[in-house]
Amino acid sequence: MGVIAFPHLVSSPYLIHIGTLIFIWAFITTSWSYMGRFGLVSLGHGAFLGVGAYTSGLLFNSFGLSPWIGMLLGGLAAVLLAIIIGYACFRFGVIGDYFALVTLALGEVVSKTIIAFRDVTGGSLGFTLKSKGTSFWYLQSEEKIHFYYASLAFLILALLIWRWIDRSKMQKALRAIGEDEIAASTLGVPIIRYKMVITMISAFMTAIGAVLYAQYITYLNPHTLSGVAPSLEIAFKAILGGMFSLWGPAVGTALTVSLEEYFRVVYGGTFVGFSQIIYGLALVLLIIFLPKGIYGSLEAFFKRAKDH
Amino acid sequence: MFELYANAIVNGILLGGVFALLAFGMNLIFGVVKIIHLAYGQCVMLGMYMVYTLVVQLKLPVFLACLLTLPVMGLIGIILQWLVINPLLKAKANPLTQLLALAGLTIVVENMAQVIWGADLRGVNIQLPLISIANIFLRTSNLIAFGGALLTLLGLYLFLNRTYLGLAIRSIAQDVESAQLMGINPKIIYYITMAMGGLLTGVIAAFFSPIYAVHPHFGGSFTMMAFIIVVLGGIGNLLGGFIGAFVIGVVTSLAAVLTSTEIADIVALVIFIAVILVRPQGLLGIRVSK
Repeated sequence: MGVIAFPHLVSSPYLIHIGTLIFIWAFITTSWSYMGRFGLVSLGHGAFLGVGAYTSGLLFNSFGLSPWIGMLLGGLAAVLLAIIIGYACFRFGVIGDYFALVTLALGEVVSKTIIAFRDVTGGSLGFTLKSKGTSFWYLQSEEKIHFYYASLAFLILALLIWRWIDRSKMQKALRAIGEDEIAASTLGVPIIRYKMVITMISAFMTAIGAVLYAQYITYLNPHTLSGVAPSLEIAFKAILGGMFSLWGPAVGTALTVSLEEYFRVVYGGTFVGFSQIIYGLALVLLIIFLPKGIYGSLEAFFKRAKDH
Repeated sequence: MFELYANAIVNGILLGGVFALLAFGMNLIFGVVKIIHLAYGQCVMLGMYMVYTLVVQLKLPVFLACLLTLPVMGLIGIILQWLVINPLLKAKANPLTQLLALAGLTIVVENMAQVIWGADLRGVNIQLPLISIANIFLRTSNLIAFGGALLTLLGLYLFLNRTYLGLAIRSIAQDVESAQLMGINPKIIYYITMAMGGLLTGVIAAFFSPIYAVHPHFGGSFTMMAFIIVVLGGIGNLLGGFIGAFVIGVVTSLAAVLTSTEIADIVALVIFIAVILVRPQGLLGIRVSK
């Protein structure tokens, strides 16, 4: 309730902007956690961001295609990439840290590809989306509040899908696979199929999130939408909050985005890297001492307190 | 045209020498401490910043600056073992968790560099002459780096194979429990290995400083490069890493001449993905049954 009424209570467009950023990235980190919580830790979701955003953005700028359709096409392109890399990994039994390394390289491949085809994509400088004023069909708006509600709706959708996965048979199968792959396969669980499905869903949603972000910022850049940096950021936001709980990735995203903005506002440009240092240190400590993440650990703590 | 390719191949081999050092350090740490040091390139970057600070801001001679950098980088290796890797080993973290913790460390190191030295390119800016042999141009700095890298590798080889300490390190790499029974303390060996790995980043930084200008995201590309080489040669396989370094050096510099540097990187990355998928034990590795 609070988040829906929020824009009417505070008139600051800046706070609405921060809220929107949190929702969009929470949507993406939640989508990432669909895989992450079953042991499929991808460090290459930047690849899906890049493929999704650039497919939609380029089609819009060149042919005036609606980003709604572009979103779908970008999502499908990301799914195609997910099928290729996912099948290759799962077929050859690449799991755990090796899976993380392959996906890390994949994110870099997409980033370098975008930069290499600079005639089309604008290379490292990126490109700006053509302005259409406020138009639902072209998913652009001069009112920040429109994007605020749109991204909130998307985030709720991602959380509902999480719930849906939780109730499905797939959840049980994936959990079994995540815990012990060989045992699961001897029980007749079709490992590759389940892993493929969850990877495809995650890739599709991530690409959609990227289109949403690109439409909001109206600017695409390979360094913010592909490659190692955003890939790690997605993973870390989710891990920080706790990738095993429904609200974990969203809480992690809200914390990191607010922390970054706080440091930027309070300390200005001189300490651009400073919030990141704290963020990185917090991460290393959390990964070592609280592997369930902040929200996940709190949840576990209260559950234990209730049981006693 | 032919000269262009010949140039690319020769320079690829020269760069391969330094890449071999990079891969050696990563392999050594993986072989002994059993950790994939994802922040290795970032440590090299710190070393280069250190050389820069000593040469440009404190006006020390380049040679002295490089010498001073070595022990500091060795110390950084020890600190990493103490503050990051020991807790990870103590918590019995799985390999994925270790990887993520070190990835988190890269964020800390890169942003620390940005806060301290800023986002601009920093170079020591020494002019060394070009040498031309039969229309092939060689940068003296690359030649020094190549020769120095080979000498360092020879020294490391002798150290590992001819000294008691080297023997202890190798036995820990092979079988921790048996080595412990022989009275070797793995904790001390881990510290020594990380110190050596750190020292090596100092050496690499010294060789790289005249060649490249450094910036806060400089390390990432070298971590990636080291990784690609290490995986190609088989993780933990020192000889494989040595050969892999030259293969990747030549392949990327040829691809860069034929197309663009981005395409060259893509080629290297695709080789990396293909090797992990099809031959995770590396091209030279021995297949271990799962």
